[in-house]
Amino acid sequence: MNLLRPARLVLAWSALPAFVFAQAAVEGRVTLPATRAAPVVNKRYEIVTKGGVLSTNPPLAVVYLEGTFSPPPVPPLAQVAQKDLAFIPTLLPVQVGTRVEFPNFDDTYHNIFSFSPAKRFDLGRYRSDEKPVPSVVFDEAGLVTLRCDIHEHMRALILVLPTPYFVVTDADGRYRLGGLPPGRYTVAAWLDSKTTAPSRPVDLQNGVTAHVDFP
Amino acid sequence: MKRLRVIFGCYALLAGPAVAGGDFLDRVDDSLTTSALHDAVRLRLSGTLDLEAYQLRQPAPSLIYSDGSGLFSPRLSLFLDVQIGAHVYVYAQARADRGFDPGDGGLRGRLDEYALRYTPVDNGRLNFQVGKFATIVGNWMPRHGSWDNPFITAPLPYSNLTGIWDAMAARTTDQLFLWASVRPRPAQGGEYLDKALSVPIIWGPSYATGAAVFGEIGRFDYAVEMKNVALASRPAVWDLDGSRWDRPAWNGRLGYRPNPMWSFGVSASTGSYLRPLAQRTLAPGHGLDDYREFVFGQDIGFAWHHTQFWAEVYEARFTIPTVGDARTVAYYLEGKQKLTPQLFIALRWNEQFFSTFRDRTGTAVRWGRDVWRIDIGPGYRFTPHTQLKVQYSLQHEDADARELGHMLAGQFTVRF
Repeated sequence: MNLLRPARLVLAWSALPAFVFAQAAVEGRVTLPATRAAPVVNKRYEIVTKGGVLSTNPPLAVVYLEGTFSPPPVPPLAQVAQKDLAFIPTLLPVQVGTRVEFPNFDDTYHNIFSFSPAKRFDLGRYRSDEKPVPSVVFDEAGLVTLRCDIHEHMRALILVLPTPYFVVTDADGRYRLGGLPPGRYTVAAWLDSKTTAPSRPVDLQNGVTAHVDFP
Repeated sequence: MKRLRVIFGCYALLAGPAVAGGDFLDRVDDSLTTSALHDAVRLRLSGTLDLEAYQLRQPAPSLIYSDGSGLFSPRLSLFLDVQIGAHVYVYAQARADRGFDPGDGGLRGRLDEYALRYTPVDNGRLNFQVGKFATIVGNWMPRHGSWDNPFITAPLPYSNLTGIWDAMAARTTDQLFLWASVRPRPAQGGEYLDKALSVPIIWGPSYATGAAVFGEIGRFDYAVEMKNVALASRPAVWDLDGSRWDRPAWNGRLGYRPNPMWSFGVSASTGSYLRPLAQRTLAPGHGLDDYREFVFGQDIGFAWHHTQFWAEVYEARFTIPTVGDARTVAYYLEGKQKLTPQLFIALRWNEQFFSTFRDRTGTAVRWGRDVWRIDIGPGYRFTPHTQLKVQYSLQHEDADARELGHMLAGQFTVRF
């Protein structure tokens, strides 16, 4: 059980080009929407021993470099885990072609599904010890909303991007996107399903960190 | 049939905007969740809107109260879930519809459920709950809501009416045979007139009032509840003022879940099935408490990947001091298979048998008509908030002169 694996995988992929291609970076801050209340678990006809009290997930944004980039030679791998009746992480950006695994670390069933146009699937109910871990390849750019057919409060987002250069902000909206190829690009910030901040032009140079804020 | 076509046409018209509004309903969901005191108190309001329609042959089957060939039964259900700290949980369900069970009545509102749960320890071993809530018996309750139930109607043990009346006590076997429409056979329409007097083994989810203790210990779970009325009792007496507390019903369930795939349970219940107004019809020397319902149930559940299966069997005994014990056994086998992420199909086989009594000539006569029913229904989820189910039911009753009973039903649900 390694809940940090998804983050490591994304970071590893994001960092890879830094050693191979470039040293440019962009950093800044995104003004995030207001925090939503933590969900309430429906326990009406169930005994919920774990995960009954959920913590608030602060809103986060995804900042990414726009452009046309070649697909990865090896499909990247990421994870969205189910732990204590919650998805971890609740927001995962991936590049088109990424395989995302969905390990279940709870001792109860989950049933992950998505009706999003970018990826429609239903994993069904699988035991936590089943191998291989159920996974889905996200081969079309767009926003995918993950839900659980059993626990209606569970929701997470996978943002499938045509670029390998992206990063999730921290809870204050700060970000640093490193390992970028030099050149003229635009940077965009995705805030929620209805809001993507207007793209900002950026001139990336080796060894230089550009600064772009999204108010 | 024309009315049904109109209703299904309406479903099609409604489906379009509902599908398009999926993201809007997500935002509604978010806006109906709020918290206070640094998240120590969290509240969520949610609900379902069900547009239900039936095309049926008379007499209407089970708990459907209509003397027509078609019935439109809309229902708005509102749910309130409140988490207060880690140990207190409150929930309620209010409905507006044409009656607790589908019927011809006018629209009205009710508070069907309200409960306060206290969980003193985090491991879930012990929970206390008071209020008006679904029974802990069996394994159908967690999926009895319109969104989770693969079908529109309840399984046979929860809906098939028997010859037991709750407003009067049977004094003779002939009276029991008459009430069960066994002998003499009722005239056309007579069954419908009697229908409002009869009770099933378990009346739907049995939202009676009372208190429960339940919890999980390892792979086992237990539940014991004391309710104001028996499982067979009708919705009118589920409320706190519907009956007195001098004859409470006791229900219990012991469950075993070796893994998430399988679940097994046994349930038992006892309670007086007569309403207080039946007092004047009791046999001399007997009280309401002598007319008891005893229920023993077994349930099994299975789920793996896109397949789900449930089965329950209930053995019920209604004690009638001057007649004997009226026994009945009802069971069902129910399966659901997801064919695609959005399309599923469900199949259910239901059957109920009745014991016999000797009539005046010494002949063994069943006190009810053995019945089987097969339910089949596809369902389609347009979005995570909208669903359409269709159900066809074919029912056969022994010793029945009429043809097989048919029922076609549709239910469009918007969940928010």
